[in-house]
Amino acid sequence: MFRLDSPRGPIMSARMEFWLIAVLLTFAATLAVLLPLTRRKTADAADGQYDLEVYRDQMREVDADAARGLIDPQSAEQARAEIGRRMLKAEHEAKQQDNTKIPGMQGARWVVLSAVLSVPLISWSLYALTGSPDVPAQPLAERMAKNPADGSVNELIARAEAHLAQNPDDGQGWDVLAPVYLRLQRPQDAVNAYRNAIRLQGESAERTLGLGEALALVAGGTITGDAQAMFERAAALDPNDIRPRFMIARGLMQEGRNGDAADLLQNFLDKAPADAPWRDQLKTAIERIRNPAVAAANGPDQEDVEAAANMNPEDRNAMINSMVATLDERLKQNPDDVEGWKRLVRSYLILNRRDDALAALKRGNDALAGEKRNDLVAFAKGLGLELAEVKP
Amino acid sequence: MTVEIGQFALILALTLSLVQSILPVFGAWRHDGRMMAVAVPTAFAVFALIVLSFVILTHAYVVSDFSVLNVVENSHSQKPMLYKITGVWGNHEGSMLLWVLILTFFGALVAFFGNNLPPALKANVLGVHGWITTAFLFFIVATSNPFRRIVPAPMEGQDLNPILQDIGLAIHPPLLYLGYVGFSVCFSFAVAALIEGRIDAAWARWVRPWTLTAWVFLTGGIAMGSYWAYYELGWGGWWFWDPVENASFMPWLAGTALLHSALVMEKRSALKIWTVLLALLTFSLSLLGTFLVRSGVLTSVHTFATDPGRGLFILAILTLFIGGSLALFAFRAQTLSSGGLFQPISREGALVFNNLFLTTATATVLIGTLYPLLLEALTGDKISVGAPFFNMTFGPLMIPLLAAVPFGPLLAWKRGDLLGVGQRLMTAFALALLAVAFILYRTSAHEVLAAFGIGLAVWVMAGSLTDLALKSGIGKVSAATALARFIGLPRSVFGTALAHFGLGITLLGVVSVTTFGTEQVVAMKPGDTLPVAGYQLRYDGLTPATGPNYTEQQGRFTLLDKAARPVDTIISAKRFYPARRTPTTEAGIVTHGVNQFYISLGDDMAGGGIVVRIWWKPFVTLIWLGALAMMMGGFVSLLDRRLRVGAPAKAKAPRPVRAEASA
Amino acid sequence: MSRKQKRLAVIGGALGVLALAVALVLVAFGQDIRYFRTPADLTTEDMASGARFRLGGLVEKGTVVRGAGTEVQFAVTDTLKSVKVIYNGILPDLFREEQGVVTEGHFTPDGTFVADSVLAKHDEKYMPKDVADSLKAKGVWQGN
Repeated sequence: MFRLDSPRGPIMSARMEFWLIAVLLTFAATLAVLLPLTRRKTADAADGQYDLEVYRDQMREVDADAARGLIDPQSAEQARAEIGRRMLKAEHEAKQQDNTKIPGMQGARWVVLSAVLSVPLISWSLYALTGSPDVPAQPLAERMAKNPADGSVNELIARAEAHLAQNPDDGQGWDVLAPVYLRLQRPQDAVNAYRNAIRLQGESAERTLGLGEALALVAGGTITGDAQAMFERAAALDPNDIRPRFMIARGLMQEGRNGDAADLLQNFLDKAPADAPWRDQLKTAIERIRNPAVAAANGPDQEDVEAAANMNPEDRNAMINSMVATLDERLKQNPDDVEGWKRLVRSYLILNRRDDALAALKRGNDALAGEKRNDLVAFAKGLGLELAEVKP
Repeated sequence: MTVEIGQFALILALTLSLVQSILPVFGAWRHDGRMMAVAVPTAFAVFALIVLSFVILTHAYVVSDFSVLNVVENSHSQKPMLYKITGVWGNHEGSMLLWVLILTFFGALVAFFGNNLPPALKANVLGVHGWITTAFLFFIVATSNPFRRIVPAPMEGQDLNPILQDIGLAIHPPLLYLGYVGFSVCFSFAVAALIEGRIDAAWARWVRPWTLTAWVFLTGGIAMGSYWAYYELGWGGWWFWDPVENASFMPWLAGTALLHSALVMEKRSALKIWTVLLALLTFSLSLLGTFLVRSGVLTSVHTFATDPGRGLFILAILTLFIGGSLALFAFRAQTLSSGGLFQPISREGALVFNNLFLTTATATVLIGTLYPLLLEALTGDKISVGAPFFNMTFGPLMIPLLAAVPFGPLLAWKRGDLLGVGQRLMTAFALALLAVAFILYRTSAHEVLAAFGIGLAVWVMAGSLTDLALKSGIGKVSAATALARFIGLPRSVFGTALAHFGLGITLLGVVSVTTFGTEQVVAMKPGDTLPVAGYQLRYDGLTPATGPNYTEQQGRFTLLDKAARPVDTIISAKRFYPARRTPTTEAGIVTHGVNQFYISLGDDMAGGGIVVRIWWKPFVTLIWLGALAMMMGGFVSLLDRRLRVGAPAKAKAPRPVRAEASA
Repeated sequence: MSRKQKRLAVIGGALGVLALAVALVLVAFGQDIRYFRTPADLTTEDMASGARFRLGGLVEKGTVVRGAGTEVQFAVTDTLKSVKVIYNGILPDLFREEQGVVTEGHFTPDGTFVADSVLAKHDEKYMPKDVADSLKAKGVWQGN
């Protein structure tokens, strides 16, 4: 589509199109008020004349009914007399009204003027308060056709989901999507995706390990029997991978079998190559398990695992945490920043700190006003956060 | 075009209707023709803007524009196209927009057909209509804006509820709204009359077509809603006295009363104040109904608390219009010239009788519907008032009313001859007695109440035919003359007869199905047979089937006649929609003439059987056919030439017109 | 008839109809008001009165027993107390264990609730409004 060569162009023209139509509509609406007011004055028939018309019609009706024999002549005569009385009265009123008629306009100019002016003034200021003229229309088909490179993560996921809904047997697609779900804390989706990937692509240490982690996450971090079984499969599939062993050890510790856990890791350490980068950390971890006074009761945590497996050399979480703290601080100083609040809420969610996210949403909600506040609330709602959940 | 145009058009419509509310009324007060003339073009423009707005919202649903919050919350890209469109009014915001669309549609109709109205009355009517429009548009813009945007736009919508994806449910709200909102025109006319302090027989003539139009639509909407509940819920019932149903039934009862009292006012210039009050009350009940349903107050009073802004706004509008109009009524009623009195035994007496019972019946329904809400608000006790309450209060009130129906059209205006009319109705009465005797004989005198109910139905139907026969002179004049006179009868006479006949048909259906209908809940295994209404029903077993977005278990049944020959197959199903993990029951309905077999499937039994609920519903379709006849009656009446009064010769030469009139 | 008599006739008729309606309403209210209760709300008078009630709560897990033919037994609970319910008929589509339900019927002398109607769904949230409110008020269920 033409959108590809100049991404800003069509949006600008869509916006101009909007303002153009808005101006035309306002103009037409103002004319609807203005035209009758400037028309040359024509004398309307007096109200009584309209009544007379109805009574004449009733009279014809009585005549027709009488002719058809629907009513007897006596009733017809009575009805005619009654209608005649009404006609006389209406006629009398019509005459009186003519005399009381005041020629218009004088002294009412300001009413007319303000009525005409109010149309553009009120509507444009109301729109300024409630509208969002900068948001373009986004029909789904058009968004799907857009260049995938400039989409957000969510959009990419949605694209992948749409693709997989059409081609549920694309194992590669599931394989790509599964770890993304896991990282985004959508464990149920991750379980589903890993299962599909295993079904279509076969078992691998990576997939079974991921499935195990997802299952554990679904259970709120508890390593269930299902998860433990998966870790054992992963360990069997790759005898040199330390990650499944850490998870198994953690599972054993949750059952209170610290000794078994330490033995398992020690066993692995003994067989490990001397130049493995995680040797030292593994040693410390075993130390900590054997000596609960030193160890945190939880045993090796996710950070240890990642550091030990040398997956993530820089401490990503710590970095994000410090960034978030800075942002948080800045918003305290300078709260009128809707984009900042949005970023903060989202960051907390990504860090799986839902309560903090809610607190941030509440603070932002208090600090902002008007459309900005609505914007923030709507944004949070899109992420699944509702202000109503916040305990006052 | 961008969605924002919809939002802009909505706001522009709000501003214009504000002008429409003030300028014409001010002009009418000052006798300024030019200011009054503003009413007509603004009424058209407001309607056009709301149409634009509605079309744009619908387009956003059609193309799944998820940058609109309302679309995100109520649509889904995989929904069938039909349900994307009907989804527009399947939610609070969209349905409020539809409500206003219909409101402004009626405003434009008044502007279009209003040439026969005195300019001041027209200006006031459209002005008052503008008040209603302004209030609701303001409500929408302030609290229920369907064009709220969401940034960044999600990639998928939330709702794909299969239960709401039904064609009956999709069509009946617009029909019901056409009825509810149609009464707003009567309301505007009544308030305009109160403002002017001038009300006469001509006013009734102008209001009647609007009342009829709204009544026809409301009748259709209620009948359709009832049939939808009947076939979709699978409970076999056609009216549950559910608060939501009552909310639509109350304006119907009051509107029916209004239809009849406006007739008295038009012909006899009597009952003026009462008719104006009734016009106010009918629309007030419509408002009450719309909002009891829309705000969710009916399921619980607490719904107001969940969204205080919206709830209070609704309450404010209700108070403003109901309280304001009644206060205006109380303030102005004495200044209106009251109409003449009349003999109790006369056509107008019969119509007063009708009004008396209809409004009392409305009041009992209102009490039954609101009492639980009041009690919960005051004491916190949760109670429910069910069908027995309404059968016990509403039913007895309807009996004298129905018995009186055939008398009404036959009585003469001013002074009726009850005895003479009674003599002319002898045939109808004989037929009714015959029906009673027949039923008593067939049921060995066990169903006395039903016999009288059916007798009453026959009486109403035969009575309306008698009316037509007498008016075309059948039996008195030669057949050819009678035919000519029959054809030449005013359409309103046909309309009355048809509507009353339809009432009889509905009554016949109601009484038959409640008394002679059977219901059996049994466990059946494949091959089992069961006697139902002279037939044998054989259960053939379950077969799985797949639909476009569901799987189902179809229970197949064969209907065998006395000679064991298969007559019909009935398929009833239990569906499962995997997308929403929602099961639904699809009742199996087979129509024989006006009777129906109705089968719902229940749970599987251990050992291969299934629980089945089987109804035999004799004459059940008459309930809705009767409503259809009533609608037709209203429609035929509407076509009557008499309701189309011409406008007086235009203005330039008022004197000759007057001279002619006084001649 | 004189003017006064006519007026009296109309007013008298109207009052007569109104009196009839009021009488009907009072009688009907006396016979057909059904209170909504959850199991913990029930008092011994309620159980002994033989009046009709609407009983709401959750279908207790593991209590649904299908008897011979079309009879079904289950227990309705608000997690504080539970009441045994007997129902003869077809359960609604959305009847599930641990889901909200409203039953209507009366108590037998032994404290069993004999229901003649069972409703499982009042809105899309799968939780009848009355049940949700009562359970929230007791603090045993949170939801939105």
